[in-house]
Amino acid sequence: MWSRIKESIKRLISGKREKIPFHNVFEQFQTLLQYHQKTMELIADVGEKSGGDYIFDRKYLVDSTAELQDLLLRMVKGLNAISSDRYYELYSTLDRVFYPIEAELRGRLALSDAPYVISLTEIPPDTPELTGGKANALGEIMHRLGIPAPSGFVITNTAYHRFIEYNELEERIHSWLELWISGKESLEKAAGQIRYSILAGIIPQDVTRQIKAQSKNEDVYWAIRSSAYGEDGDVSFAGLHESILNVQTGQVLDAYKRVLASLYSPEALTYRRQMGMIGEEAAMAVLCQEMIDSQASGVVQTLSLETEQPDCLAIYAAFGLGRTVVEGRDSLDNYLVRRTSPHEIISKRIAKKESFIRAVSRGGEEELPLPEERQIQASVSDATVESLAKWAMTLERYFKRPQEIEWALDSKGGIWILQCRRLALSGAVISTDEDICERCSIYPILIKDEGVVAHAGVGSGLVYTVHHNDEMTGFPDGAVLVTKYSAPWLAQIVPNASAIIAERGSAAGHLATIVREFRVPALLGVDRATDILRDGMEITLDTHHRTVYSGKVDELINFERVQSMVFEESPEFRLLRRLLKRIAPLHLIDPYDPQFTPEHCLSVHDMIRFIHEKAVQELIDIPNSMQRFKGAKVWTLVSDVPLDLRILDLGGGIEPNVEGNKIHIESVNSLPLRALWKGVSYPDTWSTEPVSVDFKGFMSSLTKNWDAAGGGVATAGFNLVVINEFYMNLHLRLGYHFNLIDATMYEEAQRNHIYFRFAGGVTDLTRRSRRAQVLAQILSNYHFNVVIKGDLVVARLVDLPKDEIESRLQILGALIGFSRQLDIQLRSDQDVNQFVQQFLDRYTNLTRSLPGGGENEQVKNYGFG
Amino acid sequence: MSKLRIMVLDDEPIVCKRLKPALEKQGYEVDTFTQSSDAMKQIEQVDYDLIITDLKMKGVDGMQLLTAAKQRSPKTEVIVITGFATMETAKESFHKGVFDFIAKPFKLSEIQEVVTRAEAKIRGE
Repeated sequence: MWSRIKESIKRLISGKREKIPFHNVFEQFQTLLQYHQKTMELIADVGEKSGGDYIFDRKYLVDSTAELQDLLLRMVKGLNAISSDRYYELYSTLDRVFYPIEAELRGRLALSDAPYVISLTEIPPDTPELTGGKANALGEIMHRLGIPAPSGFVITNTAYHRFIEYNELEERIHSWLELWISGKESLEKAAGQIRYSILAGIIPQDVTRQIKAQSKNEDVYWAIRSSAYGEDGDVSFAGLHESILNVQTGQVLDAYKRVLASLYSPEALTYRRQMGMIGEEAAMAVLCQEMIDSQASGVVQTLSLETEQPDCLAIYAAFGLGRTVVEGRDSLDNYLVRRTSPHEIISKRIAKKESFIRAVSRGGEEELPLPEERQIQASVSDATVESLAKWAMTLERYFKRPQEIEWALDSKGGIWILQCRRLALSGAVISTDEDICERCSIYPILIKDEGVVAHAGVGSGLVYTVHHNDEMTGFPDGAVLVTKYSAPWLAQIVPNASAIIAERGSAAGHLATIVREFRVPALLGVDRATDILRDGMEITLDTHHRTVYSGKVDELINFERVQSMVFEESPEFRLLRRLLKRIAPLHLIDPYDPQFTPEHCLSVHDMIRFIHEKAVQELIDIPNSMQRFKGAKVWTLVSDVPLDLRILDLGGGIEPNVEGNKIHIESVNSLPLRALWKGVSYPDTWSTEPVSVDFKGFMSSLTKNWDAAGGGVATAGFNLVVINEFYMNLHLRLGYHFNLIDATMYEEAQRNHIYFRFAGGVTDLTRRSRRAQVLAQILSNYHFNVVIKGDLVVARLVDLPKDEIESRLQILGALIGFSRQLDIQLRSDQDVNQFVQQFLDRYTNLTRSLPGGGENEQVKNYGFG
Repeated sequence: MSKLRIMVLDDEPIVCKRLKPALEKQGYEVDTFTQSSDAMKQIEQVDYDLIITDLKMKGVDGMQLLTAAKQRSPKTEVIVITGFATMETAKESFHKGVFDFIAKPFKLSEIQEVVTRAEAKIRGE
């Protein structure tokens, strides 16, 4: 016993670890690669389900997450097996990452653990069960769509339950409801008693503290609004619950109770009874928004209910606070505006407005007469009307149903969205009697049964084709985006599109993730889409039948509108998205960041990334494993290119029966390495203009000039690549630059990825940052998703077909040579574009092999920001 | 030609909610049920051309419903939708009288294609 302890202490002090035999490391690493692949496929699979093209059930979610957890556990074990348990804390990371996932699946994610109060800046998406429909929608408007809404906070459903429990009201409420339902008491009596009990209740200290922490400023006035679950969704409680405007900070707690009490108003109770919801437990979250000092306010209805103009939306406006508009008491300015961009004003009726409502400085509001000369003035400008129309249509596209939007114009002319809900449509507006199938059949079909659905839905508009990133500025709101490529830079116009059709891309790719986030119906991988669909054509996409119709198929659009369920808003899809939020995002971008630790793994993807990276490091950790390599075959690549490259083959990467330890590229079977090497050894790659140098001498001085403190492969004085037939992990040190490329190249596009990392250098940071700009622009041009931070460039690419991975690896090969002395040459910012152009010109033959890649003129106006 | 009458039975509401509009758009008349006992009562009233049902459900399971439906109306075709894991057992345990099996999760286009084939058989094409 004692000797074992002594041994442990000795090991701890000396810092030495037990050597694991190389063949063990090797086998474990292979297995890890397989698990890595499986987990990434599983994540892509689950992500794909959130696009609405699949019908899945809860069981699928339970099974998939269980499988993911099992694979992760194996990966954690595997990494610890090859690293002498150096990553033991990953076991607790695994628990930490999966605990909330399991809680979500058990239902009502620990609603009892949720905070009583949440700031609107931190409101979690997809949690109307906690924050109510209104606040949940506002969170998405602010954070996802970037449309301004007043700041504030939500008092959650958890706070409601706490209040009811603290005041022992549950029993009391229940018995009064019983008496009413059984006819023993009148509605008014029951409602009055319940409301009285709530108003007399005491808000528990813990809730009060959290509310006060969010409403410290005495100078702010508040709008306190109900945000019940289900409100503004399938079931509309519009106007049934109380909203109290212009509340002083000191009165927020009282106002909160008044809003809670309105859950039991006679109107609300009658409505719930009619809807068959009286037996369900009611709860209410309450939204507290800072008051906007509004010079005018009003409502937008994205379908005009009063006129028979289906292509118009209606805007109502008046001076002062919004109450006159919402309650429809006064004569209002009324605009009829075209739903499509550029939102032409079709008619404008300026009403005579005799009074307006304004806030009173000690809280509350008052109605005042308007001076004679202002009574016939328009309450808002035409420019405001157009901005309102644009935002309103963005909201309708996102929420998938016509909307009713309350807005305010502040004294500085800023527009704010106060709340937004589904517009109640009457049968008069939309007829649903017609046979939808028959009605659609009269429209010519342009495309049928082509492509994969990235996000399901129906979208209609004018075709706008984007080939280059400088064409994006002209993209009209509500147009149908048609493109050859699913390039990452398209992300910025996705929210403005009514539908997207791309020739390339997969349901698991980057563009697919973005269209899902913004809920834009999208069909990817549609052959010849840019030939068939021409700019200015009006079309309708229906992903449910993978059909593109010529013209605007109103029947189809109306059919969608009257379906009771928006799939994106269903509890199952919300659950899936909440799960995905804990699974799919990648936060650990750079393995050399000090925060690249288990502690900073926030998602399952982070863990996978961390484990993969550390496993590779274990494998090639030269200082610790020179001895290890004695047991392994390391090949030296013989080439004219003066890169001293050693190859570690995991199996299948080298031609069998090769003798000795030196090989030529012809004997390498690893597809990604062969592709890369083709680019590396391209004739012009290693000759340089304008700096002329003795090439071989220059290179050898660089390759020998190792930075001793660099660690890793570099200290061993050679470059190392780990390969198998379909995989490559390359660590390269050229002079003072450090370059990492990790890539797979399979037949199946969804298994492929390229990860590229580049940093370091001898010059000052300014020049190195310019070099980062050059690399980023070049890589973006080939549709890499690029992040730059100082001199660091990280570029990623996933899900491309084999031939496209091949072309891009060739480009990376060429880029290795091109970039090695780039920082020295980048003397001014102007040089950046010139070098980007130089690279693209020099390698046009490589880029021509990429569809759409040879069009280098697109770089000229490329603003990188 | 009269519309095909389809019953969808799955105890998870999301399956019904999504299948109904998709099949209606294809030109069918669709009734959906999340309680198999309700569906059982319904097949005593109505002869459906096609029944799309889950297998494992509380109370009456898909197997029982299938038997009852076929007894009453032998012409009724049945499509079974079941979890991927239970697929093989499902196929083995009864293929008799089932038009086709579809594993969950499935694409809308997959079920639309199977329904189109079933329709062709029902209409004797």
